[in-house]
Amino acid sequence: MTYRYGDFTAVDDLSLDIPEGEFFALLGPNGAGKTTLLNILMTLTAPTSGSISIMGYDVVREVAAVRRELGIVFQDPALDDRLTAAENLEIHAVLYGIPRNERQTEIRRTLAWASLDNVDGRPVKTFSGGMKRRLELGRALMHGPRVLLFDEPTLGLDPQGRRHLWDRIATLREKGMTVLMTTHNLSEAEACDRVGIIDRGRLVAIGKPTALIAEHSASETASLEDVFIALTGRQLFDENASARDRMVSFAKQGGEHTR
Amino acid sequence: MSGAGSISARTGIVPSVVWIMWRREMLRYFRDRSQIFGGFSRTILWLVILGFGLGASLREIEGYSYAEYILPGVVTLNILFSSLQCAISLVWDREVGLLRSVIVSPAPILSVALGRLFGGATIAMIQGGIPLLFIPVIGARIELWSLVAALIIMFFMGMTITAGGIVIASRLKTFEGFGAISNGIIQPLYFLSGSIFPLRGVIGGVGFLDIPDSVRDELRRLGVFAINGGWVVQLPVWLQTLVYMNPVSYQLDLLRYVLLDFQQLPLVADVLVTFALAPVAAVIAAASMRHMLRRR
Repeated sequence: MTYRYGDFTAVDDLSLDIPEGEFFALLGPNGAGKTTLLNILMTLTAPTSGSISIMGYDVVREVAAVRRELGIVFQDPALDDRLTAAENLEIHAVLYGIPRNERQTEIRRTLAWASLDNVDGRPVKTFSGGMKRRLELGRALMHGPRVLLFDEPTLGLDPQGRRHLWDRIATLREKGMTVLMTTHNLSEAEACDRVGIIDRGRLVAIGKPTALIAEHSASETASLEDVFIALTGRQLFDENASARDRMVSFAKQGGEHTR
Repeated sequence: MSGAGSISARTGIVPSVVWIMWRREMLRYFRDRSQIFGGFSRTILWLVILGFGLGASLREIEGYSYAEYILPGVVTLNILFSSLQCAISLVWDREVGLLRSVIVSPAPILSVALGRLFGGATIAMIQGGIPLLFIPVIGARIELWSLVAALIIMFFMGMTITAGGIVIASRLKTFEGFGAISNGIIQPLYFLSGSIFPLRGVIGGVGFLDIPDSVRDELRRLGVFAINGGWVVQLPVWLQTLVYMNPVSYQLDLLRYVLLDFQQLPLVADVLVTFALAPVAAVIAAASMRHMLRRR
């Protein structure tokens, strides 16, 4: 699969097969093509050439079917801050066509799962980062997906929040959920079944974390971080702030009409 | 939940999706005191302070007090602000809000867009209704049926302007500040719509000279609307042209017709622009929203 815009090849002839039930981590420096790959998996962008299927459904031709199979957690919260947790979940339930008579039960169940059943009635803007992330994870599972896509799930969480979230993800893994996550946290990646490292749109390494360390590093005590640096180089990947980054920083300053 | 048949649903209209997106806009609106406050403060500034202040020198326009004359204009101003706020929040929603999770759901984007449009129109109608609460203060006499007709017109205005705003917003990559929208869009649409001065003639008068009725009728035939005495000023042609090109002029004219039984533009044009433009604008808005969300 390849994706180009203009002269720039964001994903270059990448081929990847993730078996059902696997816990897969996608690593790569900024700008390596992780986001593009995720966008294609989410059916937001179509690949320039090649094809991808998820649970047997083609991401270009069978968009709706693919979307029902996916549970997605974005890098930063995609919640409505002014609504309560239950109201956010209700929107999700309607969008995914959960029948009206099941909606309230599903919402209660998800709130309990995310340990948020005691804060119902408060708008999401009063939530901590960890609470928002739990809510989003619960929401992503609400419609019974079989594949989860996580973009940096533990970014910005304190160690307690990270541990809590990680435990939740581990229980999903036991239930046979297929998980694909991107991360910068290499110790988390080491806990995954397999790791893929992508650099400049190419998959430069793939395999079990222990196998990757053995293959790409001479020393016995090497970590995945050493492998990562060895494969993707030491240079810094500085990018210009995206339109989104600028909006977020503007919103944080609390400019006029930021909502 | 099977995926069967859901491809066709992606382009269709699902009432529950339209309803939940409409309800979301409503919940957000009623939790945002600042927007309601803005509606009241604009009304007080324009209708009460300007209406009475300027009204003291402009004694009347065609038999209506100045505050009465600008009442539909202030309604329009509130509709402009709330519609464009709703449209601009789309940019925020796409980058830092719930919309990102909406666009990866199987729900058809057309229904999402419609829900938002109806929400924007409903909020515009409520915000536009705030100045109508001040009718007793300015001493106008307006009948119930006029109010009902006005609310319907206001809903359609809100729909058209929200849709127009969405078309603009969907072309913005980033958005830093409301000032550009306020100064670049709302104010020209507002000032060039006959909201605060009559369209075909502006007449400033101190009221020391009474114009006899026969002269007044004569002036009206010439397309000049006389105020109780003073000077007669005709709008320059370029300014008139801008006013005639502004769709808000026609919507406002219809609004003023039902509220005050006074209007200055062809009624057919008013009705056409108000009611036929709304669905057309809605379709274009839905299309540009789809386009915007696909580009990512």
